[in-house]
Amino acid sequence: MFWKRQVPIAIVFITGILTLFGWFVDSPRFESFVNDDATQWYDIIASFAIILGALNLLKLQFLKIVKQKKDWQYSILAVVGFFFAITAGFFWKGANYIHINNVTANVSTVAPVIAEMEQKTIEQVLPLLEGADTYDVGHIFIIKGSAKKYFDELTASGVNAEMKEKSWGEHLLEEGTVFNWLFKYLFTPMSATMFALLAFFVASASYRAFRIRNFEATLLLLSGIIIMLGRVPLGSSISAWFIAYIIVLSAGMGANIIWKNRMTTFAVVTGGILLVTILGWISGWPVDKPGFLYLPVLQEWIYTVPNIAGARAIMIGIALGMIGTSLRIILGIEKSFMGE
Amino acid sequence: MKSGKKVLMYAGIFAVLFIIYYAFGHPFFNGNRLTMFVCVMALSVTILYYIARANGGAKIYLRTIPGLKAFDEAVGRATEMGKSVLYVPGIMDMDQVETVAGVIILGHVAKMTASYETNLNVPVSRSIVMEASREIVKESYMSVGRPDLFNDDMVHYLTDEQFAYAAGVDGIMLREKPAACFYQGKFYAESLILAETGNSIGAIQIAGTASPSQIPFFVTACDYTLIGEEFLTASAYLSQKPALLGSVKGQDMGKFIVMIAIVLIFILNGFHDLGWIDIDFQELLRVQ
Repeated sequence: MFWKRQVPIAIVFITGILTLFGWFVDSPRFESFVNDDATQWYDIIASFAIILGALNLLKLQFLKIVKQKKDWQYSILAVVGFFFAITAGFFWKGANYIHINNVTANVSTVAPVIAEMEQKTIEQVLPLLEGADTYDVGHIFIIKGSAKKYFDELTASGVNAEMKEKSWGEHLLEEGTVFNWLFKYLFTPMSATMFALLAFFVASASYRAFRIRNFEATLLLLSGIIIMLGRVPLGSSISAWFIAYIIVLSAGMGANIIWKNRMTTFAVVTGGILLVTILGWISGWPVDKPGFLYLPVLQEWIYTVPNIAGARAIMIGIALGMIGTSLRIILGIEKSFMGE
Repeated sequence: MKSGKKVLMYAGIFAVLFIIYYAFGHPFFNGNRLTMFVCVMALSVTILYYIARANGGAKIYLRTIPGLKAFDEAVGRATEMGKSVLYVPGIMDMDQVETVAGVIILGHVAKMTASYETNLNVPVSRSIVMEASREIVKESYMSVGRPDLFNDDMVHYLTDEQFAYAAGVDGIMLREKPAACFYQGKFYAESLILAETGNSIGAIQIAGTASPSQIPFFVTACDYTLIGEEFLTASAYLSQKPALLGSVKGQDMGKFIVMIAIVLIFILNGFHDLGWIDIDFQELLRVQ
């Protein structure tokens, strides 16, 4: 029990206090430990811990295949994909390139071949070869066999060329390697596909959110319309006087709901229209005045004043909540995360 | 001496010692961060004071939060329908406070599912979260006397990648059609994908996050949402432990102090701008 309870609590306390007070200590070594070393320790532990996750994933997928549970065929895909990525990352570099020696003596024979491999013109390649005795061709070959044609051309013309491989680590990032190909042509499109779903989900969520059920939903709808229109070129084309007329008509609707009197409604609407028309005529109908009715100005105000005020209020609450939660965890008051 | 007063006494002693230490040149202390230090200490003392008072038997009132009351309702619904409960503890690792809070809430949900004999499915995005969640779920099942219902595979790892994880969880939702979905932790863009998919299968959804940019998406798509502070104090509500309730009260008092400070500093800053006082409070309170 000592190792499962007291030791973890002590570790949490010591590291928590060190990190908390480390922010206030005026010592570069201590600051460096808190800001860099401690976070790197965590990254290292998390990197090793990923093995646990991977084993768990494999175990569940294998069980599905062995027991032939529903849709077990997809588990085969998951396992094959897993091992292929492991192979591409740790065993099969797929990052071969041609290294050419004695370039200076053979520029005329080498330049066209390099240009073909790197998909450039000879004029673009020649400046790269000037003064260079050796040259590493930029094109990566996944298998050595695919470089044979170019390799043979170079060696036949008397050039000293050799096949080399990119170093471990470099093979993950270099354009054209197996791992990079997996990332660029499989992983990235699939991630982009999932991300693209958000556009449709935002539309469907907005449709449900903007229904006029109560006052808050109506306010949300109006703010949404103002901000959406105000942020596009169309919004800057809509005159502030048009918005003024809409407000007058809305006031007329409101007057009708409150007083239910035709004469009152007529007076409000007519008076409002006359007032707006006279003011507009006097001012010359500027599109962007009065400013508080101009959509781009209105949306900017909504975004920077009430929106940010609300967001800051939530963030202050979150910050206090985090302080409280962190304090409880550091002092060992909250032990549930260890399985109390 | 009452425990609350003890905390104040120790805080007072610490304050006096710190003032003496500061007056003598404060070696090793970064003087530029004095304001932040004072604020952190003041908030900590407030929270500790109320924890001590709660431990001493003082009654702490907390308002009802509909989202937390709905936890029981959601698990009950899943039990009646004979379907499972899906719990998503966010996509970040245990170094985030929100993930820790999410894992703590998982413990309470696990107790409910153990009591009601409902299946619990917890797909996670990080290995360390998997181990911590597994431990907490196991302890929860044991605490209600149902260790036989616990299975290691309840908590399983999917992937570290954000959208691959969202795709995996969506697949689980569409195939298994859980009756209740909990999203409690730190989320990014995948929040709406998860919430909308859960909405499409007709599950009751309860979300909780302290990520301000994701709160609107959860509010729109979920039945109940624990917003920011409510999410971080959920463990106190669900456990009803005096120490935890006291800390929530302390946080609230901290918020009250912040509100007063905002108004005061706004007024004093106005006086400074008018030239009536020399102290620039904005500069004094700037975090360095």
